[in-house]
Amino acid sequence: MSNGYVEMGLCAPVNVTWEVTYACNLSCVHCLSDSGAKRYGELTTEECRRVIDDLAAAKVFQLNIGGGEPFARPDFLELMDYAHQKDMVTCISTNGTLIDREVARRLDHGLVYIQVSLDGATPESNDGVRGRGSYKKALRSLEFLRQRNVAASINTVLTRLNFLELDKLTQLAASFGAGFRVSRFRPSGRGEKSWSRLNVSKEQMVEFSNWLSRNLEVSTGDSFFSITTEERRSLGLNMCGACKLTCCISPLGRVYPCAFLQQSEFLAGRAPEEPLAFIWKHSPVFESFRRLEIKSCGSCHRFDMCHGGCPAIAYHTQRRLGVPDPGCLANCVGVKAHPAHRQMVTGN
Amino acid sequence: MAGTKAAHPAASDNFTESSSYRLAGGVRVRQERFGLLFYNHRGPRIYFVPTGRFINEDFFDGKQTIGKLVDSIRHKSGLPGERILDRLKEIFRTFEAKGLIDEQRLR
Repeated sequence: MSNGYVEMGLCAPVNVTWEVTYACNLSCVHCLSDSGAKRYGELTTEECRRVIDDLAAAKVFQLNIGGGEPFARPDFLELMDYAHQKDMVTCISTNGTLIDREVARRLDHGLVYIQVSLDGATPESNDGVRGRGSYKKALRSLEFLRQRNVAASINTVLTRLNFLELDKLTQLAASFGAGFRVSRFRPSGRGEKSWSRLNVSKEQMVEFSNWLSRNLEVSTGDSFFSITTEERRSLGLNMCGACKLTCCISPLGRVYPCAFLQQSEFLAGRAPEEPLAFIWKHSPVFESFRRLEIKSCGSCHRFDMCHGGCPAIAYHTQRRLGVPDPGCLANCVGVKAHPAHRQMVTGN
Repeated sequence: MAGTKAAHPAASDNFTESSSYRLAGGVRVRQERFGLLFYNHRGPRIYFVPTGRFINEDFFDGKQTIGKLVDSIRHKSGLPGERILDRLKEIFRTFEAKGLIDEQRLR
């Protein structure tokens, strides 16, 4: 990643995370957006089309679509097609439960990537987090996607419950011709309540970093840039991309630095009323976020690898910005790994 | 001008003032302050090229020739045409190697 060019300031995000609805038929214990029922004020179809027009005009390349469950919106496929007409790539994060054979056929499009969420390699470990029956339905959707040759991956939020199942999840993904992606658990939404129970320990974070180094084909969507090792350095970012490469639009059209910072103090603007290019360029929230420096990390030997780590984790755990990510590798190393964790790494 | 997708050998081997280029499938580009920002959805996703204002994103519509681009840059920079052409050849060879562009040929 060419930091110098990013620091100069891009005219628009490279990609935008767009949570298209709060509606969801599952009730995962770590849901970042506390989704469940559709909420008053969610953007209408027409407003969503205006958002897409606006993002296309700003030359945003990619939409990372989530929710809620995107397919819970009756107009979702229509909106997805509209984004493709504008040449935008759609990367859709879904629980998979609403993808049947016909939906998979509609997704058979070169501009679509699907991430099916699965938080365990067995029904027991997954359904305890995501809800009864969700494992079976997610696998069924992966099979439909495989049959249509749709680019897909299994996306797993790393927790202490699935920490020892990563190899199995990698194999499971491969069995569907899918990739495997691991995302970082963050204490926002319902994740705030389940944080202390589910978040991995520092020892596990170190072990996971080592595991990633040996599994370069596993993607992380850069959510683990704070634990990147030399082996993965060329694979992604070495800094938080919020307000520099990406931003987030909520189901209500509110624009924030990222999906994990949706408090009122981070509200940068409202779509589609305000053009995204204007918000991107002129929002005081975005401007101050770009100037954010984690000064106490300045002397760290890993500073060039992570620049202080994830501000959202720092904010949610310490209620302020400008402080180090507590889960950064520098903070985690030195903690002796538990033998059970080594077992995951060595496979013995 | 009707264009067809380049065949082997590498198009940059035929790099001349009459060459023209189009973005490869799945690739988009936009103008930034530093120059051009390419996005390739087949990955790796983004590629920064510090071309300043010398190459406009519109160049990759397959209709403009390298010769016209050389003239434009010469006009802006005052550099000799041969030097510009040599540098462009390097840059476009890199674009091709990264799968960002295809040469267009006159039928």
